[in-house]
Amino acid sequence: MVFTSHIFLFYFLPFVLFVYYLLPRGRNFFLLCASYVFYGWWQPWFVFLMFFATWVNYLGGIAITRPGATGRSRKLALTLSVGVSLSLLGFFKYFMFLENNLNDLLALLGSENFSIYVVTLPIGISFYIFQSLSYSVDVYRGESPPVRSFFDFACYVALFPQLIAGPIVRYNTIADQLVERDHTVQKFSSGTALFILGFAKKILLANPMGEIADSVFAANSPATIDAWFGVTAYAFQIYFDFSGYSDMAIGLGRMFGFEFLRNFNAPYLADSITDFWRRWHISLSTFLRDYLYIPLGGNRKGTRRTYLNLAIVMLLGGLWHGASWVFVIWGAYHGALLCFERWRGKESLYNSLPRPVRVAITFVLVLFSWVLFRSPDIQQAFDFFGAMFGVLKPEGGSILLAAELYTRGHLVLMAICAAFAFQPLQAFDWAPTITWKKMVILILLFLVAIMMMFVQAFNPFLYFQF
Amino acid sequence: MKPEKRKQLFLIGIFLAILLAEGVTHTTMDLMKNQRPVAADLFLQVPSQENLRNYEENLEEGSWLVQNLRPVMQVLRFAVLGDLGKKAVAGREGWLFYDLGIQYLTERSQPVRPGESTPDEVVEAIVSFRDRLAERGIHLLVVPAPGKASVYPEMLTARALNLDHPVNVRTLQLLEQLENEAIELVNLFDLYQSEKNKDSISGPNNLYLIQDTHWSPKGMEMAAEKVANRLQELGWVEKGNTDYGLKEVPLSRHGDVIRMTQIPGIDDWYEPETIQASQVVRKESGEIYADDPHSEILVLGDSFLRIYEHDEPGSGGFVAHLARDLGKPLTSIINDGGASTLVRQELYRKPEMLAGKKVVIWEFVERDIRFGTEGWQDVPLPDANQEI
Repeated sequence: MVFTSHIFLFYFLPFVLFVYYLLPRGRNFFLLCASYVFYGWWQPWFVFLMFFATWVNYLGGIAITRPGATGRSRKLALTLSVGVSLSLLGFFKYFMFLENNLNDLLALLGSENFSIYVVTLPIGISFYIFQSLSYSVDVYRGESPPVRSFFDFACYVALFPQLIAGPIVRYNTIADQLVERDHTVQKFSSGTALFILGFAKKILLANPMGEIADSVFAANSPATIDAWFGVTAYAFQIYFDFSGYSDMAIGLGRMFGFEFLRNFNAPYLADSITDFWRRWHISLSTFLRDYLYIPLGGNRKGTRRTYLNLAIVMLLGGLWHGASWVFVIWGAYHGALLCFERWRGKESLYNSLPRPVRVAITFVLVLFSWVLFRSPDIQQAFDFFGAMFGVLKPEGGSILLAAELYTRGHLVLMAICAAFAFQPLQAFDWAPTITWKKMVILILLFLVAIMMMFVQAFNPFLYFQF
Repeated sequence: MKPEKRKQLFLIGIFLAILLAEGVTHTTMDLMKNQRPVAADLFLQVPSQENLRNYEENLEEGSWLVQNLRPVMQVLRFAVLGDLGKKAVAGREGWLFYDLGIQYLTERSQPVRPGESTPDEVVEAIVSFRDRLAERGIHLLVVPAPGKASVYPEMLTARALNLDHPVNVRTLQLLEQLENEAIELVNLFDLYQSEKNKDSISGPNNLYLIQDTHWSPKGMEMAAEKVANRLQELGWVEKGNTDYGLKEVPLSRHGDVIRMTQIPGIDDWYEPETIQASQVVRKESGEIYADDPHSEILVLGDSFLRIYEHDEPGSGGFVAHLARDLGKPLTSIINDGGASTLVRQELYRKPEMLAGKKVVIWEFVERDIRFGTEGWQDVPLPDANQEI
C-alpha cells in the first residue's frame, strides 16, 4: 500500500487509528496485523518472507542471550541470523544481477548464455532486512535487551509507517518504545503536521518534478540546457519524494506513539560531500557507519585502511540501493569524494570559497551522482553526461522537449522546489508546535494535495524500488 | 484547556474529519442507492494481487469525492498554471499537440516503457502482411500519416524555427528500411514539407488542424490525391467511371486535443476552429459517398481516416476523397488508434472484407510505430475459403 493512495488515506489509516486507540491492550499485536495487511496489499505472499526473516532474527536473539551461552555459541547464533538474512536479501535482490553478469561474461568468452531465472524483488526488503539485522547485532553487542515478546519484535520489523522506504529504525532506538510509549495530543498533532507536510511534498512537488525528469531522461540526446534542467528536476524529485516519505513515516509513527529519528536535514545546503552525507538519508549513513564502517575498523587502523573502509562502505551503500552497475559507480563516486575530503582533513577542495559558492559546487557534484542514480545503465548515464557538457548534440526531435519542459507550471514549481530545498527550515523542526497560522497552512495544503492526488496517475515512492 | 492543546486538538479533529469524509460519503451514497457498500467487497473475494488492485481502483473511481473534486482541480490547475494535463501540450499561437506524438519524437529509439514496439517489429509485421497478401494476389500500399509535430515543429516550440534537420529521423529511417524490403509506400512527409516550403502556406492552408491531432481537409485531400496517383502509377488500379463531385461544408469545431484534456468548460477558453470541409457526392444523383463492400480496394487505418468521414460532415474524409480521385467506391476498416494491429485483427474476423480485393491500403499514424495499440503483431489473413 502507498501512503499517497486513496485506500490508505481514506480507509486503512482511519480504520487502524480508530481500532488502535479503542484497544486497551494488545496494541502492538494489532499494529503487527495492520502492518502485514499493509505490506501484503502489494503481493500477499511476500508477507511470509518477512515473517521468516523476523522469525530467524528472533530465534537468533534468543540463542545469543540464552543463559549459559558461550562466546562461541553466541557468535554462531549471530552469524546464522545475519547469514540467513543477508542470503534472503542476496537472493531476492542480487541473484538476477549475478545471472546477467555471468551471462555477459560467458558472451565475452564466446560461450552460450543460460536462461535467466526471474526473481521478483519484494518491496522494501532492503529496509526490513537491515532492521532485523540491527536487532541481532544490538543484542549481541549488549546494546539492547532481547525482546520479551515475539509479537513486539515482529511489530518492530513490520511497523507499517516505516516499513517500505525507511527511515531505517534501529532496534536500540525503539526497544523501550515497543514496551511502553506515550500517546499524547502534542505527539499526535505534531505527527499529523509532519504527515501532511510529507504528503504535500510528495504530491505537490516530487510528482511534477518527476514528470520533467522522466521526459528528459527518456529523451534521445537532450540539449545541454534541457539535460541540466532535467537532472535538477530529478534532484528535487528524489529529495521531496524521499524526505516526504520520511516525514510521513515519522508523522505516522508519532500518531501511534513512536518517536523515530530524523532522516533528512536540508541536504542541499551541504557545503561539502562529507556534510551532504550528514544530512541525506541519515538513518542509512549512520546504519552503515555503526554496522559496517566501525566493525571494519573505521579510522582506527591507519590512514590507508580508513580510505579503504570508506570506499567499501560507499560501494556497498551503492549496491544496497539497487543491483546495477550504475549504483556501484554511484557509490564509488561518493566514496572517492569522501576519501578525498578525508585526505584534506574533512574539508572540500573549495572550502576557502564563500558558503553560497560551496553549497552550489556541492549541489552540482551531487547532481552528477544523480545522473548515475537515475540512468538505467552506464551507457545512458554517459550519454547524459555528454548532453550536459554539450559533447552530444541534440538529435532529431529532442529539441522539441522544450515545449514539454518549460511550461508555466513547471517553471513555477521548479522555483518553489528550489526555494524550499535551499532553505534551512525543515518540516521535522516546524511540525512540533502548532499555531493557528500553521494550522490554516496545514489544512489548506492537505486539501490541495488531496485534490491534486485525485488528478495524478499512480505514482509510487522512488525508494520503494530499493 | 490550554490554548496550545486546543489548537492541537483542532488540527487532529480536522485531519480525522478529512480522512473519514470519503469513507462516510461513499458508504452513505451506496446505502442510499440500496447497494452494498463498496468497501465490503474486499471481504467477498480472494485477496489475490489482481483482485486487490481491481478493488482499489473501483473504490477510487467510484468515489463521489473523486468524481466531484477531480474536475475542480483540473480547472484550477489549468487556470492557475496553464496545465492541460498529461495528454495535451500547448504550442505557439494557440496550437495544441497530443503528448504521445511528441514523446515519439523526443524519446530514445529503444522502448522506454513495457509494451512499446521497436522499428524492427514494425518492419517485420508489415513485411509479413505484404507477403501474406501477395500469396492471394493482393497488393499492399503503406501510407504512414505524419504526426502533427513532425510537420509543424515550429508551432510546438520556437526552438524549431529555422530548423535545418528533420525532427522525425526515426520515422525516416523506418521508411528507408521498408523501401529496402521492397514495401510500396507513399511518403507524405516529403509531400507536406514541399507544400510547407511554398510561401503561400498560412491560415486556411494549414495541413493540420490547430487544436486537433489530425490533418486539415487540405492535408487530407493532398494525401488522398497522392495515394491515388501512386496506385495508378503502379498500375494496380485503373481509374473508374463513377463521377463524384464535391459539396462544400463549413465546420466549426473544437479539436480532439481539447477534448483529451477532460477539463470541464475548456471549450469556453478556446474559440472553435473554422474549417472548410467538402463532402464527396455522386454528381448525377447528389447522393453522398458510401463505401462499397464489393470494391477491389480495401483501406485500413485509424482516426486519420475517421475524421471528416465518419465525423461531421461525413463522407468527406480520406476514403471518400480517394474514391473520388480514383473514380470508384472503396471499402474500409477504421479503428481509432488501432491501425498497428487491431485493424488487421478485425480483417481476420471479417473474411468477406477481403473477397475480390486487388489492393489493400494501410494507413497508420507515425507515433504508432512505437505506441501502436497491442504493438505490431503478426496477424494471419482470414481463411480464403471463408471470404465469400
